[in-house]
Amino acid sequence: MKAPDWRGIVRASLRQITGDPAHDEEIAEELAQDLAERFDDYVARGMSKDRALELAIAELAEPGTLARSLRDSARPRRMAPVPPTMGGKPSMWSDLVMDLKYGARVLLRSRGFAMAAILTLAIGIGATTSIFSVVNAVLLRPVPFTDMDRLAMVWETDRNTGTYREPASLPDVLDLQQRSRQFSSFATFAPAERTITPPGGEPMRVPILFGSRELLPLLGIRPSPGHVFTNAEDSPGGPRVALISDRLWARQFQRAPDVVGRTIRLNDIETTIVGVVPAEADFGTMQILRSAAYGRGFADRDLRSRVDVWLPLQGDPRTLVRDTHPLLVLGRLAPGATVASAQEELTKIMAELEAAYPSNAARGAFIESLSDVVFSRVRGTLWVLLAAVGFVLLIACVNVANLLLARGAGRLREVAVRTAMGAPLPRLVRQFAAENLVLAAVSAVLGVVLAILSLRLLVSLAPADIPRIADVRVDGIVLSVAMGLALVTGLAFGVVPAVQARRADLQGALKADDSRGATAGRERSLLRSTLVISEVALAVVLLVGAGLLVKSAWRLSQVDTGYRADHVMKAEFQLPGSRYPAVGAQWPNFVEIHRFNDDLLRKVTALPGVEGAAIVGNHPVDPGSQNSWRVVGREAEGQNWPEVSIRRVSSGYFETVQLPVRAGRAFEERDGPTDPTVSIINEALAKRFFEGHEPLGQQIRLWGSARTIVGVVKDERILGLSHEAPPLIYLPFRQAPSFNGAEALLVRASAGTSTLGASLRGAVVQLDPRLAVFGVQPLSATVGDSVAQQRFVMLLLIAFAGVAIVLAAIGIHGVLSYTVAQRRHELGIRVALGATPERVTGLVLGQGARLTVAGLAIGVLAALALTRVLATQLYGVSTTDLTAFAAVIPVLGAVALLATWLPARRAVRLDPLEAMRD
Amino acid sequence: MAKPTLTSEMKKGSAELLILAILEDGQRHGYEIARQIERRSRGAISFHVASLYPMLYRLEARSLIEGRWVEKAGQRRRRYYRLTTEGTEVLAAQRSLWQEFFVGINRVARLRTTST
Repeated sequence: MKAPDWRGIVRASLRQITGDPAHDEEIAEELAQDLAERFDDYVARGMSKDRALELAIAELAEPGTLARSLRDSARPRRMAPVPPTMGGKPSMWSDLVMDLKYGARVLLRSRGFAMAAILTLAIGIGATTSIFSVVNAVLLRPVPFTDMDRLAMVWETDRNTGTYREPASLPDVLDLQQRSRQFSSFATFAPAERTITPPGGEPMRVPILFGSRELLPLLGIRPSPGHVFTNAEDSPGGPRVALISDRLWARQFQRAPDVVGRTIRLNDIETTIVGVVPAEADFGTMQILRSAAYGRGFADRDLRSRVDVWLPLQGDPRTLVRDTHPLLVLGRLAPGATVASAQEELTKIMAELEAAYPSNAARGAFIESLSDVVFSRVRGTLWVLLAAVGFVLLIACVNVANLLLARGAGRLREVAVRTAMGAPLPRLVRQFAAENLVLAAVSAVLGVVLAILSLRLLVSLAPADIPRIADVRVDGIVLSVAMGLALVTGLAFGVVPAVQARRADLQGALKADDSRGATAGRERSLLRSTLVISEVALAVVLLVGAGLLVKSAWRLSQVDTGYRADHVMKAEFQLPGSRYPAVGAQWPNFVEIHRFNDDLLRKVTALPGVEGAAIVGNHPVDPGSQNSWRVVGREAEGQNWPEVSIRRVSSGYFETVQLPVRAGRAFEERDGPTDPTVSIINEALAKRFFEGHEPLGQQIRLWGSARTIVGVVKDERILGLSHEAPPLIYLPFRQAPSFNGAEALLVRASAGTSTLGASLRGAVVQLDPRLAVFGVQPLSATVGDSVAQQRFVMLLLIAFAGVAIVLAAIGIHGVLSYTVAQRRHELGIRVALGATPERVTGLVLGQGARLTVAGLAIGVLAALALTRVLATQLYGVSTTDLTAFAAVIPVLGAVALLATWLPARRAVRLDPLEAMRD
Repeated sequence: MAKPTLTSEMKKGSAELLILAILEDGQRHGYEIARQIERRSRGAISFHVASLYPMLYRLEARSLIEGRWVEKAGQRRRRYYRLTTEGTEVLAAQRSLWQEFFVGINRVARLRTTST
């Protein structure tokens, strides 16, 4: 018998082993030789050749299994990265490139570690960058106009009502202009809305601003092309001219350079364009309007509004008399003047005016720096978010530090060997640094992507009353700061092993498997435990914050608003005076307006599924306007009564929003323009002004008529969910139509509100195709928008807390896994010596519990100190709310238990033999 | 219970120690290692191809041993394995561990040691 072809036999059995043909050849060759020798041995022992062949081939057992186990064992034979050599001519550049390449290869080899570290860092960088970009764009970036700190809002105050941010009257402003020395100039403005009808296009509703000619120059805003309003343009009876926004210029005129001199139709009136206001000229209009006690205009309706048209105020003191207060006043402080000195001066001037004019009774002035007005609402919120996201970045860095330390421990040997071979410390440090540079760079790229994506999401979710939110961009400086921080973390903790190994006993490190027993290991595990504890503590703070906000949101959602917004659809429109005349002499019998409303209501109630409909001057989330009033027969007593909110509603209102009538009756069909005038009050007003009196049947004097109180209704929270309902007076729409024709249609439908919006729009347009219908949305969405800021902060904090707790869990898991690995042989002996699984689990769980409890304790203390900053965001919850704090414990406990459980299970499943071998 | 199965589980646990110990005396090729183990254990432990080579490759991957092709005059080239510095360290550590383990087991199970 010829000698068997062993190689052929092996190759035939093991077709493919590693997939690398050259490598496979070598393995086959080696196995073939083994089999040949075994065969020879068997034959030499006197076995028949056939039997020997059979036995030798049997060595290959199941070839499939063998091939797999060979492959699995041989896989790491892929060359381990060779550390860059130390010899040769030193060259900064080529050394660096070599170090970076080596670093990249090292990271590729330990993918699990690299992925955890990179993801953690990227999340930290991404989240921090996007939030900080918002803070930067909103609060930190210079405003687009000159000397914001010299600008101040001049409000009127009313001692009777206690309001201190009221708009001013034109005569008052003219007097201030004349007498004040602390202000170098004043400008006035007022919000309004107009319907633009582009030639051949759909009419649309745009926010506009009436402004005095001083307004834009005061702010340092220059139209381009075009010019600011001239004296002639801003005079009573002046020409119909307008400045338009950059946006409107682009949309309507495709940025035609000859736009100046062309016209647009505003509420059907041809208006000549005299200039274009640049895109970034917003001086905080929305925030100023939102701060005003009343006269907030479009700011009440749509928080995302941006002014599209500026019209000259053309203020005439003969029509804008001293007891109407429509004007917002902006002043520029004179050189040397301060807000305090201006306040002092204007208080004096207002006192003189009070003495001179009866209509100025109880009126004063309140000066507030413009930046306070614009930013005060969001400043707190944004800093809270920034702090929270800073915590997330901190946790991310701590986590990466932890990962790096764990890894460093595993690489002690590498460091020791290389040190023994003569690698100088700076060389090692530099190489570890290079490795971490690679890590940081990859994280940074991913972080940038995350930042861009999350910023986009953030801006779309952000409440619209955050100033300048639309201008938010990913900020280069911010990004570099976050990346720098990540880099510093990586470098600082990445080179620790190199330095520590140097300090540690070289022999010890070489001798000991892993870092078992080395003092450096102990130091490191202390450091790691500290890091995990701080991580848990940071997560606790965020969790408590999120918990408080969730509870607050829940409280808000439980608030009894009085009205029911679900299943109610809202649509708004304005009837232009040109086609729906509102002439003072005919008030309240505006025939065209009432006819339109009646037709609309008839049309809408005929729609399928509609259960009720109403026309109102203000929907339930719109605070509307206030007015002074008297009770007939108690005039003297009412002298010092504050103004109250007036609501104009059609007869179906109370039924449509299901606002219960507590006494008397609701408005009815019989309350028409020529019928006896009536009114309804809410419980708040009844309680405050009719204590001990029966309100029903009494008369309220308002807008020139005595109006009999026919009903008392439940309070509705018109100032937002978190504010108690103020005293209200309801008037029948048909007895008190508004002069500007602005109306809202509210419709309750049985079958949801999904297609209702389109039907309502259709109904309005059928009656008058030239009307712009806007604000079409479910009333519940309008209510939701009113708590947008709280909701925004809550969602972000929940997200941050979620990230934080995941990172903390990774941290706990990492440290315990490491400990279990480190104590493998000890645990192995324990198991071999009969330790029960419970006992081993207990050991690991105990360590996890100690870390968690320590972190929890520190975190709770920190939270007690820090949640105070959330105070303004909370409703009905104290910053030290027990349930929010208590809720953190099970959440964190569960996560920590899970993070601890996995390593503990690994410890229990230790094979004692294997454990002791390693 | 049938004859206690000393084979697979225990062998797997100790294989590393055995191979490292054999290589302590000098470099050997695969089959030689198997033969030495069988001989020294007086036939109690034998290694088959299916378990020997995966283990060798694993040890090599962990740089405890190092394999290289050696050509000797008049012979086919063969792959010889020798202990690395690290392998020597690990062998020492394992020896003391197993020592500890055996002493521990012995105290508990009172094994009778036969001379080697």
